[in-house]
Amino acid sequence: MSALERIARVPAAAIETANILLTTGDARIGGTPKDIVWTHRKTTLYRYRSSDRRHAVPVLLVFALINRPDIFDLRPGHSFAEFLLDEGFDLYLLDWGVPDDEDADTGLDDYVCDALPWAMREAMRSSGADDVSLLGWCIGGTLCAMHAGLVGPASPARNLVLLTTPVDTGEGLYTSWVGRDAFDVDFVADNWPAVPGRGIDFANKLMKPVTNFWTTNRRLAEGVLDGTADRAAHQAMAKWVADNPPFPARAYREWITAMYKENQLVRGRLRLRGARVELGRIEQNLLVVTAGADHIAPRSNTVPLLDLVASEDVTHFDRPGGHIGLMAGSRARKEIWPDLADWLRERSDA
Amino acid sequence: MADPNEREPSPTLEEQVRRLYGGAETRTARAMEQLVAGEAFGELLTRVTENVVAVTKLSSDVGDLVLRNLRVAGRSDITRLARQLNRTEDKLELLLQRVEELGDAIERRDAAGRDEAPASSGDERSEAGPGGNGTAAKPSSPRARTRKP
Repeated sequence: MSALERIARVPAAAIETANILLTTGDARIGGTPKDIVWTHRKTTLYRYRSSDRRHAVPVLLVFALINRPDIFDLRPGHSFAEFLLDEGFDLYLLDWGVPDDEDADTGLDDYVCDALPWAMREAMRSSGADDVSLLGWCIGGTLCAMHAGLVGPASPARNLVLLTTPVDTGEGLYTSWVGRDAFDVDFVADNWPAVPGRGIDFANKLMKPVTNFWTTNRRLAEGVLDGTADRAAHQAMAKWVADNPPFPARAYREWITAMYKENQLVRGRLRLRGARVELGRIEQNLLVVTAGADHIAPRSNTVPLLDLVASEDVTHFDRPGGHIGLMAGSRARKEIWPDLADWLRERSDA
Repeated sequence: MADPNEREPSPTLEEQVRRLYGGAETRTARAMEQLVAGEAFGELLTRVTENVVAVTKLSSDVGDLVLRNLRVAGRSDITRLARQLNRTEDKLELLLQRVEELGDAIERRDAAGRDEAPASSGDERSEAGPGGNGTAAKPSSPRARTRKP
């Protein structure tokens, strides 16, 4: 395409780009058919429909608290959930829902000691299995690790898969922001019963301001101009990124204090309902996945876990990619999903 | 085989502009990342966050006060009702789990009786029960409470 042709295409491309941005909210994500198995407060346990369940141990997907779990099932043909179903897994999804002011009293203990084990219990009841594989991503991974560290071998979790999971937050940009004494987490939690997810997302984006606020949109416009833009892919991801549920105040206070101010989890000082969370009690088959370009849960925040657990079966995948791109990027389907499925398959038979 | 003396074609004007722009954007991105990693930016972010929290809290309180003086249910009233619902739902969940455990125990006992197995002790679970230390019970029978979304 000559320079003149490109210039002539600019107005049409600008309109098309604006259209993509303005209709992002209409994109359909999380569309793989699933049934509600159990609900409690805002939490919902889903089971994906499948007629081909070949593995005895069901997989329970657990996502973070600050985005929706639709990232596991972004769009047809690019859905991790769809992929695992095709691989013959009995698949469940734990959706924390969208907390509001009335959930201000929900703390980390409610997630780790109630919602998560109750969801595991219901998953096992409906599948008829005696144990379950937990696959946690980001904070969801940390909650799974806390559960395993709290309950130890008595947990019905046979396998533990932790994707870009913060465990040792001793260093990192996020720690330097919210871990500092000047950041008064009590002031925030006392005045906001539900800490707005938009605010947390804005802070996350500020870590790479040019990339997040400018480069993404510039690449989209350039792609439209060149005729290479993938409208469906961009809209699905953009819609998911913009959907940020609030963080319940007590959970936010506990998360920031325990993880970023005092780094309690890795020091063995975290207590939930009086019981100590000891990562050394984790005996499950463990797979830890880190992403080389992850700036939210950098490798250094996750890798210490490998030396702390008591598991005999420990695997570590260190792959290129970012915090989300690792699992939801265009190359994930070929580069990381098959490895995860292989790892789970070898450990999911009766 | 390529002629070693053959030179690569010189980039077009458009390619040169793109390369220059790409370089500038990359350098700007790095500079901004260094900026946000600085101590001063962290301090600034903290102060801005506190100000935003304070302003939204004040405006929310004023809005709620206006509504209450108009005898209209405000956000705090709805939140209070929703909290009561939450507490009721917690109790129902615990009750339901207890019922399911009892159902499982009865089924186990019946099954043991049918198989003419030695008498079961009734409840062999080692779990601490619902709402306890986070241990999930291992169910004896698959009985889903499944409904379509």
